[in-house]
Amino acid sequence: MQNINRIYALSKRNVILRYKNSIAGFLWGFIKPLLYLLIFIVIFGNNSGINNYVLYVTSGLVFWFFFANSTSQSVGSIVGSAGLLKALDIPSQFFPLSEILGELFNFFLTIIMFLILMNWAGLVYDARLLLVFPCIFLFSVFVYGLNLLLSAINVFFRDVGIIWGTIQPALFFLTPIAYPESNPKHEYRVFIENNPIYFFIKLGRSIFYNTEPPPMHLWVTCSIISLVMFSVGYFVFNRLKNQFISAI
Amino acid sequence: MNNDVIIKVEGVSVSFWQNNVGVYSLKDLLIKRKSPFKSKRILNDINIEIRRGQSMGIVGRNGSGKSTLLRTIAGIIKPEKGTITVNGTFAPILALGAGLELELTGYENIAMLLALYGTSNGRNDAIKRISEFSELSDEVLRMPVKQYSSGMAARLAFSVSLANDSDILIIDEVLAVGDQGFQAKCMQTIYDIKRQGKTILFVSHFPDDVMKICDTAILLEDGFMTHHGPAGQICDNYRQLF
Repeated sequence: MQNINRIYALSKRNVILRYKNSIAGFLWGFIKPLLYLLIFIVIFGNNSGINNYVLYVTSGLVFWFFFANSTSQSVGSIVGSAGLLKALDIPSQFFPLSEILGELFNFFLTIIMFLILMNWAGLVYDARLLLVFPCIFLFSVFVYGLNLLLSAINVFFRDVGIIWGTIQPALFFLTPIAYPESNPKHEYRVFIENNPIYFFIKLGRSIFYNTEPPPMHLWVTCSIISLVMFSVGYFVFNRLKNQFISAI
Repeated sequence: MNNDVIIKVEGVSVSFWQNNVGVYSLKDLLIKRKSPFKSKRILNDINIEIRRGQSMGIVGRNGSGKSTLLRTIAGIIKPEKGTITVNGTFAPILALGAGLELELTGYENIAMLLALYGTSNGRNDAIKRISEFSELSDEVLRMPVKQYSSGMAARLAFSVSLANDSDILIIDEVLAVGDQGFQAKCMQTIYDIKRQGKTILFVSHFPDDVMKICDTAILLEDGFMTHHGPAGQICDNYRQLF
């Protein structure tokens, strides 16, 4: 119970800190993807060959921004919590965990606003939308695993935090968010199809965009990816965590 | 184990990873397989026994391992060798700026730290006590902590830490920045806490303070405990270092 209070207090801190001293505040969670959407409409909109381009892009963007925001916040979460970690016997994995929970809160705020936009773009409200809960849960497990890995290594090699700012946009363009999933001419298909984020975006998109609910095999694939990523992150984090104090 | 012993440290050694001087390139790291880190001993075979209600001072030069010893006893750092047995609860270590989030206001910090320290019952009461003890005005507590002077931040940290009703208080050289009035008040409070029968671990560079608060003391030199005994005697040993 005490630990739940602690995780809650840290998550709340993250939510407060995220948009402290900004005028638009949490609206930025909505405005940022919206700006991306506008850019894509201008660049690709007319000749993308995608049916209902606005819905296609937004259904990918909401999940992408959940991923991008929480990883870039978490990378430095251990290093940035030096003060607390050195004063208190508190499990260090609470810090990347609370970053994810804070971002989940933002995700749900954002998605409420996007549901209105998506409805205008043709989304029908029905029970299928509830699938967003298991979907974002699986994605969170994946992102948490990745964050454990990144935040732990970043303690010893701060390069991780720096390079992540470069890897992230590369991953974005390797994920079919602004362009069609089935572009046969694409020479980078091999990268796209081995990009784990692709599967989660696909899962999310089949809830908001496709007419059919996500197929079973996609749920299974995403579950496996999540579990593998979580195990790797958990293992590395636990191997390194006893040396955090001396390095932060 | 005797019930009166609240902290027992047996044969504890602590090592840290340090950057290995000489591994500068990726070639060294990947091809020659040199480790980028080497292990450095910070504490060597420390043995301490503290009885309930007793206070112990830790003195030593900068870098002799005082803070590391405090953190190891508090469970924040895991020892490489040896065991630590504790029969009580800890208040968070009091050190400069410990745990304060600079961007948050005083009140937000108090709420967050109380939750992290595990003080959930009687929260409003605790907040009131904290603001009274810290002597920070309502207006100040509504400001982000980054705008505080170091003395004000120390007042806040000290007050929050004291709001916690735990058996062991750990103080890592925090009093030096407060103004004289607050320093005197803190010393008085620490003294009162001691009289309530609580245990205090106290790191300070001021032998007079150590002698006032502590019954026993230890002297650390380069990670070794070279002297231990009554506080007055250890403070004399400490003065002789210079």
